[in-house]
Amino acid sequence: MTMRASLLACGAISLAAALLLQSGPAALAGDVEEAAAICSACHGENGVPVDKSIPVLWGQNEGYIYLQLRDFKLGNRKNVNMTEIAAGLDKPSMKQLAAYFSAKPWPNLGQPSAPHDLAVSAETTAGSAGCRGCHQENWEGDSVTPRVSGQGTQYLRETMVQFRSGERANNPWMAALLKTYTDGDIDAMARYLAGK
Amino acid sequence: MAKIASLALVAGAVAVALAGMAQAQEVRNATKFGDMATVTQDLLNRASDDGNNFLHTNGNYAQTRFYPNRQINTGNVSKLHPAWIFQTDVKDSLETSPIVVNGVMYVTTSFDHVYALNARTGEEIWHYKQKLGPISTYCCGPNNRGVAVAGDMVYLATLDAKLVALDAKTGKPAWSTDVADPELGYSETMAPTVVNGKVLLGTNGGEYGIRGFVKAFDAKTGKLLWTFDTTPENSQGVWATTDATGRDMHRDIAAEKAAYGKNGDPYKTLGGGVWQNPSYDAASNRLFFVVGNPSPDLDGSVRPGDNLYTDSMVSIDLDTGKYVCHFQYIAHDVWDLDAVSPTVLVDAKDASGAMVPAVLHAGKTGHIYVNNRKDCSLIRFSEAMVPQENMWVLPTKDGARMLPGANGGVEWSPIATNPWAGLAYAINLHQPMTYHVENSAYPGGKLWLGGAFKVIPSEEQWGNVTAVDYNTGKIRWQVKTSQPMIGGILATAGGLVFTGEPNGTFEALDSMTGATLWQFHAGAGVNAPPSSYTVEGKQYVVVGAGGNAQIDSKRGNNIIAFTVD
Ligand code: HEC
Ligand code: HEC
Repeated sequence: MTMRASLLACGAISLAAALLLQSGPAALAGDVEEAAAICSACHGENGVPVDKSIPVLWGQNEGYIYLQLRDFKLGNRKNVNMTEIAAGLDKPSMKQLAAYFSAKPWPNLGQPSAPHDLAVSAETTAGSAGCRGCHQENWEGDSVTPRVSGQGTQYLRETMVQFRSGERANNPWMAALLKTYTDGDIDAMARYLAGK
Repeated sequence: MAKIASLALVAGAVAVALAGMAQAQEVRNATKFGDMATVTQDLLNRASDDGNNFLHTNGNYAQTRFYPNRQINTGNVSKLHPAWIFQTDVKDSLETSPIVVNGVMYVTTSFDHVYALNARTGEEIWHYKQKLGPISTYCCGPNNRGVAVAGDMVYLATLDAKLVALDAKTGKPAWSTDVADPELGYSETMAPTVVNGKVLLGTNGGEYGIRGFVKAFDAKTGKLLWTFDTTPENSQGVWATTDATGRDMHRDIAAEKAAYGKNGDPYKTLGGGVWQNPSYDAASNRLFFVVGNPSPDLDGSVRPGDNLYTDSMVSIDLDTGKYVCHFQYIAHDVWDLDAVSPTVLVDAKDASGAMVPAVLHAGKTGHIYVNNRKDCSLIRFSEAMVPQENMWVLPTKDGARMLPGANGGVEWSPIATNPWAGLAYAINLHQPMTYHVENSAYPGGKLWLGGAFKVIPSEEQWGNVTAVDYNTGKIRWQVKTSQPMIGGILATAGGLVFTGEPNGTFEALDSMTGATLWQFHAGAGVNAPPSSYTVEGKQYVVVGAGGNAQIDSKRGNNIIAFTVD
């Protein structure tokens, strides 16, 4: 709910999305830059998203970006904005956009490091769940596993909660893992990762 | 039955006597094939008698991992020392089987790097780095287990599911071909096998709802010649209620049949990866290999039936890829206690005592299974090499404890055999786990376990090296190790077996008694199968020490070759 409200607050966004929907997949085959400009209306001109509920795309792993676009289109992952946007993309366009955004530098959101007690709690959780086995030592992931370090706090918290509730249904394994976590665990983890 | 030897050093008279016994069998370290740089089919066929090269991932087409040179033996192994150490550029999980052709060694690392090295000095000749595509899906580390050599080519299979042919002299790619779509969870970590102009490959992906296969590609062009699907369109089987050893698997056959009738055959996303090399039997022109677990691993409700040919040994025709016979060790597996460790062809006694062509497989269950090559039927299974408890309790939401844990027993680690002694050597894990089930729909090529396996943190873990008499199924000797073992083992005509541990120990054991004759501390997990070779009349043993992602042992980047002076 909160996400939707905040998105409505930025007027330009829905317009951009509407433009993309009108032009359809063909537009992308022409020019990635042009399509990317539409994404940037939300995900940020300089890589810093325009709203805290929107994830960083710049420097995210290529395979991961592609699979998310595919999943939004398939409906395994749902979001008012992204579902419509992905519906208008074909596979080659998704791949081009993934390559385009992954090649950009990861932006610094300037988020504070988590306070000591939260960091310790997050480290313990991460150790027992083996998060780094997939997300790598530096939490930057690889290929189809996303970078989570330096991602926006609010987005991280929301997406983990959505995994837990089953609302984000495109990765049963992450969902099962997070089922055992309390709101407190998730908040600590989000702030810890965001401040990395 | 098992003699549990401790890791105390035992040398002396016994060892020397046994080294003498070994002589009867071996081939001298003369340069019988040594001046040939092109790997002909003849050379590949005769690898089991080749005391110079190491041409196959598992030594030879039978995959015995028995190296016929005895220059390094029980009498002098105490003098073994590093000849050289090569440091790769990749400090990550290292599972490579070094291949050696006429003094040139080929090794691979995580993320699909290949190095050609001077096998005498460890100097780099060339280095190839695969540029991976955007999607590579791997459950258990960015591993690669090595290359295959044939003609003037070196073959590599990659994490993004491609097969690449490199020029053996320069490391330049000659061609590359797509094996399968990585987006659907297919990936490659195995070394290919090359026979009679065909490059053979299976696939990873049993954790991702793939449909498994073995494919044959033309060695010259990379063109696909045939595909054998490991999950046939009719995968229901015979609704077996017991496993190969006769234990009840607690299946609800009526419920499964109802689900099968309602939803149809699950073969399209049934898993059945093949990620270890097949054995090739020239006499019958057949391949033998094992097929891994069904998808999803722990949730059987979405895949009613026996789930053929998962958890099975399968034999197919080399020329056509057509099915000949199979044997399923565990029908409708919901524990991931599948069949991974590569098959080995030996002659073994059947029930009547007659020697017959047989095929061995060491299971995650902890049994070594002995089957008849002719019709795939079971001859015997060995005593369990690790504790088994609570088998086959069904996974539950909150977790049911059962031993062995999901890594085995014997994981992917290849076994070795000593054909004249009739012994098979296996390395094992003891890792108590609970098995949890959780239903979820097929997630489009994403990780699909249908639950979780959880290590029980309060319980002790350990491993062992076990020698099994495959003509009786009895354990001959067993050596306990302080940590669970993954990697592999090599037996030699020098009366030795070589293997490594996650704590960095690399060791030589007396192959008849299990006595530890030599140890080396590599500083990183030794979780790769050793090889041996001879250059200019001197025998070496080589192994990778780079740790392992799956059991999270300490990472490193060393290829270490040992010799005696
Ligand atoms: C109207 C605003 C908006 C526009 C325009 C937009 N996005 Fe998004 N995007 C979002 C929001 C909000 C999310 C978070 C969705 C969620 O929480 O599930 C998101 C999520 C994503 C994700 C998932 C990232 C992750 O870390 O999981 C990808 C990939 C993505 N967008 C790509 C794109 C691309 C490519 C475009 C342009 C073609 C685009 N987006 C345009 C709002 C937008
Ligand atoms: C088995 C590998 C694996 C493990 C272990 C794992 N993850 Fe993930 N994680 C993934 C994959 C793959 C995705 C991408 C999900 C998808 O396919 O949409 C993901 C997604 C995420 C996301 C969403 C990122 C985004 O941009 O939307 C977060 C946050 C996350 N993981 C945190 C964690 C934490 C915290 C842990 C440990 C408690 C953990 N993960 C353990 C594989 C793993």
